[in-house]
Amino acid sequence: MRLVIGRFMAAAALAALSFFPTLHAQEFKFFDRTVQVHGFGSQGYVKTDGNNWLTMNTSDDGSFHMTDVGLNLSSPLTDKLRAGAQVYDHNLGQLGQWHPSLDWAFLDFRAKQWLGFRGGKVKTTVGLFTDTQDLDFLRTFALLPQSVYPIDMRDANIAHSGGDVYGRVPLAQRMGKLDYTVWSGHRNDSMHGGYAYFLQYHGTVENSYGGLQYGGDVRWETPVKGLLLGISRLDEDLIGIGTRAGLPNVEKTKKDFTNQFFGQYIHKNLEIDSEFKRQYRDHILRNGTAEDQGNLHAWYVAGSYRLFKRVSAGGYYSHYTATSTFNKILDTDLPDGHVYDKAITGRVDINRFWNVKVEGHFMDGYALASFPEGLYPQQNQTFASTTNGLVMKTGFNF
Amino acid sequence: MKNKKLFSMLAALVFVASSPIFAADVKVIANPSVSATSVSSGDIQSVFLLDKDSLGGSHVQPVLVKGGAAHEAFLKEYLGKNDSALQAFYRSLVFTGKASMPKSVANDAEVVAYVAKTKGAVGYVSAAASTEGVKTLEVK
Repeated sequence: MRLVIGRFMAAAALAALSFFPTLHAQEFKFFDRTVQVHGFGSQGYVKTDGNNWLTMNTSDDGSFHMTDVGLNLSSPLTDKLRAGAQVYDHNLGQLGQWHPSLDWAFLDFRAKQWLGFRGGKVKTTVGLFTDTQDLDFLRTFALLPQSVYPIDMRDANIAHSGGDVYGRVPLAQRMGKLDYTVWSGHRNDSMHGGYAYFLQYHGTVENSYGGLQYGGDVRWETPVKGLLLGISRLDEDLIGIGTRAGLPNVEKTKKDFTNQFFGQYIHKNLEIDSEFKRQYRDHILRNGTAEDQGNLHAWYVAGSYRLFKRVSAGGYYSHYTATSTFNKILDTDLPDGHVYDKAITGRVDINRFWNVKVEGHFMDGYALASFPEGLYPQQNQTFASTTNGLVMKTGFNF
Repeated sequence: MKNKKLFSMLAALVFVASSPIFAADVKVIANPSVSATSVSSGDIQSVFLLDKDSLGGSHVQPVLVKGGAAHEAFLKEYLGKNDSALQAFYRSLVFTGKASMPKSVANDAEVVAYVAKTKGAVGYVSAAASTEGVKTLEVK
């Protein structure tokens, strides 16, 4: 207990260093090019009643096993070409386990406003927040709506190794602007991610999981000031290779796609976000001897408001249902077919670099279909039908 | 009659004194290397939201002020964001590798000094600020 409190205090002290000018974003010259250095980090504490959450033992004293850090370098190489890279490390209960990863690293050539190219490991543009889901400091909430942005499944579509074609196209007759991204690449999950951990409960040890991902995103900055609407599509062709009871085990997707519709309205200090996500996955399991058809429907509505210069508040309703033919979870009205989450948050910005958040979650259900949804059998021998949670987080960025 | 006229003048004075600062109190300036002399407000928005890096064929880079009345007026008129939203927008680009954080300085004098010495720099200052060494862009 002392160790974890000490860890929290160390993280808070590190955040407090952001009072000092030396922790501002740094710049230096490298071969006559300006290189910027930026970083971020956060430390959280989670306490629940009912079930243990996010692979942590949260129902006793709570858990501080919720930490992440990131550091990036970037530079414009020419007027149209830039390069950058970010490393990221985290621990979330049994996930992450402090295995650092290359978060993104790519070259970006912007030929025209309407045509640009990125190549390397690139954050994936799907919905409002896929590419920024780790960047806690950008938003009021400590956790994004988990129905659409499960923190334990961040590996699934946060980045791809491949390329993007993107651009912004002004529309005629003052009809706003369209931003588009078309992308393709390889997904490669960390073996310390939520899906690999989830499979362990079912006796499967994955050595690798990933494959081809491709998709597109179109978002319309409408003529209504502050209103953004969009749609994303993602298709993937994945293979998992590992062992099961000591013998080789292969699983493959037969069909796997996601459609995501989103809208955002920002007016002065008010922001309202809403998304609907539908994922269908037909998965061949156990060396071809079994098949699972999983159907996921998820949506949320979130609102946040900046009350004062340094204080904001928000709340959301997050709705997740998932079925699985192999696991015989077919009725989403039952607790194992859904998680409904009501959340309320307060955020205080100590200064422009350091923030503190307090968030309450009131969840119904525990969803045990083809994908985990934050509530794992390894931490819960029996599941309670409801979970109430408190999340406290402090974070810094420079 | 005289009192009515005086009252009207006083009312007008109070109205003007309590009015928020308008875009007319802000002017957009550029380094002399920037060939454009007049630009659209849409172009200004695109430059400062890091979506466009040229004006009139010249490569440009924005410089902002860290705060103050001219900064707030510029954000309201041209970018449609408050400072918190703008900083969050920039950070979303920086931390996904899509842009570098634009230069920001403390006040009008530093904006003018930076724009004067930096090829392609575009900034904004209060209308009354001295613009020695830079050019003022007409915004249509």
